[in-house]
Amino acid sequence: MSSIETIVNKYPGSHRENLIPLLQEIQEKEGFLSETAVVEVGRHLNIPTSKIFGVATFYNQFRFEPVGKYHVQVCRGTACHVLGSATVLEEIEKALKVKAGQTTRDGLFSIEVVACIGACGLAPVISINGEFYAKVTGPSIHEIISEYRNKENKQ
Amino acid sequence: MKITIDNKKIKIDKPATVLDVAAQNDIYIPSLCAHPELVPYGGCRLCIVEIEGRRGYPTACTTHVEDGMVVRTDTKILKEMRTELTQLILSEHPSACMMCDDVEGCSVFQGTIRKVGITTGCRWCPKDKDCEFQRIVESLGIHDLTLPGLYRDIPIEKYDPFFDRDYNLCIYCGRCVRICNEYRKSSVLSLKQRGKFTTIGPAFEATHIDANCEFCGACVSVCPTGAMSEKSRKWWGVPEKYEASTCPLCSLNCDIQVLTLKDKIVGTLPPGVPHEAGGELCVKGRFCLSELVNRTTRILEPQFKYKEGYGFVSWEVANEKAVEIVKEVKPGRSAMLLSPSLNLEEIHFAKQFAEKALHTELISSSCINENLLAYMEMASHSVSLNDLKKAGCLLSIFLDGNYKYAPVTMLIKDLASKVIPYCQIGWTKDTTTRFATHFYVPKSGDVEGFLDKILFNLKKEKAKTKQPIITETLAETKNSAMIIGPEIMSLTNCISILDKLKQVAKQSHSMIYMPNPYGNLDGLLALVDVVPFDEIRKKIDKKEIDLLYLVGDSAFKKNPGVMKIIYQNAFPAPEDLQPDLILPTALWGESNGRYLNTDKKIKKSYSVGDRHGYSLPHRQVFLDLAKSLKVKLPKFSAKDLRKEFQLKLKPVPEKIKVPAPSKNYPFSLVQENAQHVYSSLNLSTGIEGFGDLVKADHILLHPSDARKQGFNNEEWAILGSSKTEKKFRVLIRKNIPKGIVLLTSSNGQLEFESNPCPVKIRRDHV
Repeated sequence: MSSIETIVNKYPGSHRENLIPLLQEIQEKEGFLSETAVVEVGRHLNIPTSKIFGVATFYNQFRFEPVGKYHVQVCRGTACHVLGSATVLEEIEKALKVKAGQTTRDGLFSIEVVACIGACGLAPVISINGEFYAKVTGPSIHEIISEYRNKENKQ
Repeated sequence: MKITIDNKKIKIDKPATVLDVAAQNDIYIPSLCAHPELVPYGGCRLCIVEIEGRRGYPTACTTHVEDGMVVRTDTKILKEMRTELTQLILSEHPSACMMCDDVEGCSVFQGTIRKVGITTGCRWCPKDKDCEFQRIVESLGIHDLTLPGLYRDIPIEKYDPFFDRDYNLCIYCGRCVRICNEYRKSSVLSLKQRGKFTTIGPAFEATHIDANCEFCGACVSVCPTGAMSEKSRKWWGVPEKYEASTCPLCSLNCDIQVLTLKDKIVGTLPPGVPHEAGGELCVKGRFCLSELVNRTTRILEPQFKYKEGYGFVSWEVANEKAVEIVKEVKPGRSAMLLSPSLNLEEIHFAKQFAEKALHTELISSSCINENLLAYMEMASHSVSLNDLKKAGCLLSIFLDGNYKYAPVTMLIKDLASKVIPYCQIGWTKDTTTRFATHFYVPKSGDVEGFLDKILFNLKKEKAKTKQPIITETLAETKNSAMIIGPEIMSLTNCISILDKLKQVAKQSHSMIYMPNPYGNLDGLLALVDVVPFDEIRKKIDKKEIDLLYLVGDSAFKKNPGVMKIIYQNAFPAPEDLQPDLILPTALWGESNGRYLNTDKKIKKSYSVGDRHGYSLPHRQVFLDLAKSLKVKLPKFSAKDLRKEFQLKLKPVPEKIKVPAPSKNYPFSLVQENAQHVYSSLNLSTGIEGFGDLVKADHILLHPSDARKQGFNNEEWAILGSSKTEKKFRVLIRKNIPKGIVLLTSSNGQLEFESNPCPVKIRRDHV
């Protein structure tokens, strides 16, 4: 039995209210929601795949690609927004050549937009694998990213 | 209940919403998201009204009427608010034309420079003058934007057949999503993301084909803007007339309405108000009909084969030549082949002409063989579609109905969603599979064994063997129904499979429903004593036939060895057939006619469009020829139709053993005959969009099967069974189950020794 089936079978009966807990548990286990997982959940709960996808994309917490080795979380909270986090996100997307929610082809980086990571004093702030970078700007983003790239190349 | 709307006192006997009541009493409340078939949504907010004693401004579509309610729909403040709401929508809706000075003269003189390809305003939108949003903006008298405009710059989606999608024009009323989910129950579309990033489409950014879309066009019909538009009539403008008729593309003969513009057929819709027309039709009835009729390759003038080659002739000359040919041939030495999509009158006159002028009884059609006759014999016990609605459980067998028999699949989905057990046996996951409690994919060599098992279980008192689910549902529910698809006709040992199904139906007291892909095959069999096509072929081989009269049927690729061929059709003959006389005829929609459908009801279709070129209706051609030959053809009356027709069935032929998949030949190949044929034109090869859906001469594979072999779309693969090896292009489709290879051949013949057949696939290295 696949891991998805094991999770799905924890929620007997097709009750629609189980949808989000189910998706959350799958994401916790797998790291992301794959197409097969969504189809499987749909079969179990008797909800069309498109509907589940609609619900899952509504929430920021769900992702549809596995996270990269370095997971970049960009804060888009109020304080960060005021201090220009929109530009920061744009620069990160430019530097990595992927959009928020996606993972680079080499599987190294992934970007996630979060509402607030509770470090408003350091705004605009990003976090890479839990390590915080305070008061980031356009140029400093590129520095940070290339730092990680170099680290990876050396290895 | 009594309510007052705009000082008009109205009596109501049943619960309804304020919007419905207003519409019934000719009180106009603007609205964009409401639709009579759908649950109220309250998305566009334009139908806000004032109700005495209620706070705020409730939406009429979501408010149910209560006794003594006093509603005002047209006050100053309401108009102001509606204008404000419309302005909000307009700020994200391309509306350059609205404030252009040249707006009146532009559509006539086209004096304004514009960028084609991108719709920036109404004049260059496919829905111009036929748009609900445009009407509302005009009725509110808006001529200027008060908010800054924003173009969303979403790429226009053109990669799917039949309709284009430009979501820059979308106003997110959700009608398309709701009609897809609630009414048609296809659940292909969904609203994705949120806020200003919202998009509409299938899950995981799949194409509509991959998302199992049926292309019923319901989303296109109900779209209140130009976001969705039919490719074929995108720039033809607003249709002038909407006329009722009947679809000739399968035996269900659905009611349709035909859209015409200057007596040209431009499109078809299901019956009802055009903007509310849901998806009652399949892709063939909704999109293919107008493309069929307007094909540019139609024959426009009679042609005669002189020694030097073909020459265009007038109808008088053509008649003379036909008379010469007919008189040359001795009685009984001619054969006539009829298309099963001709209407009853045409078949009647063809038969009379064959009997009285050609003196022959050899009438057939290229589709008529032993399997088809056995199928039709069983189908004569078919119940009507209405009776199916009473079914307590459903079993569909080889229906594979994504692009056909829409009323049947809709009924299945409707019943199955009301907790009626539904089981499916088939080779593709179609639109009904989601509702199936049990989906069984028979492997090669397994079809008969599986039916045997069901039969064995049914005969026993209590079922306890391996496949009990189908048996249980059939045995334990009253009014069980079996829906059998015509794909069964191309299977090896079809007759014995049908025989087993008959026994299953008898044992479980099930109703049966059997549609077929031919427009008027029931009519043909009810009017004519047909002979199997093979008999005619044998006679031709024995040189017993001199004249072949082809009426809407091109059974042969080249001259099979007869002296003369008369080819009477709307579409050109195969290149090597070289008929002696070509007579152009009218198609459906260009002459009146009647069809006999699976429910044994007579359906009428009407002449709504102009005939192309010098073509004449089949009936007229026969009458003219008969006149020249001094033969009288009796008129057609519906009494000529036999209620019960005797089919000459041969005893069950010897069975061929179908091997099971083995280690060397792991896949089960299922071959489908190209059955979507209208008047000798194969829709898969004749209509580009339909060809994308039902791809001829391609093998369809499940993604994981394709991945294992490293195949991409359109790559060449060699398909080998133990006896044959053939080359096909690969197409990856998610709705094909694992281990199954599906092949639709365009010539209607089986490519491998049995069907299904165990095969292996390898790459072609050349």
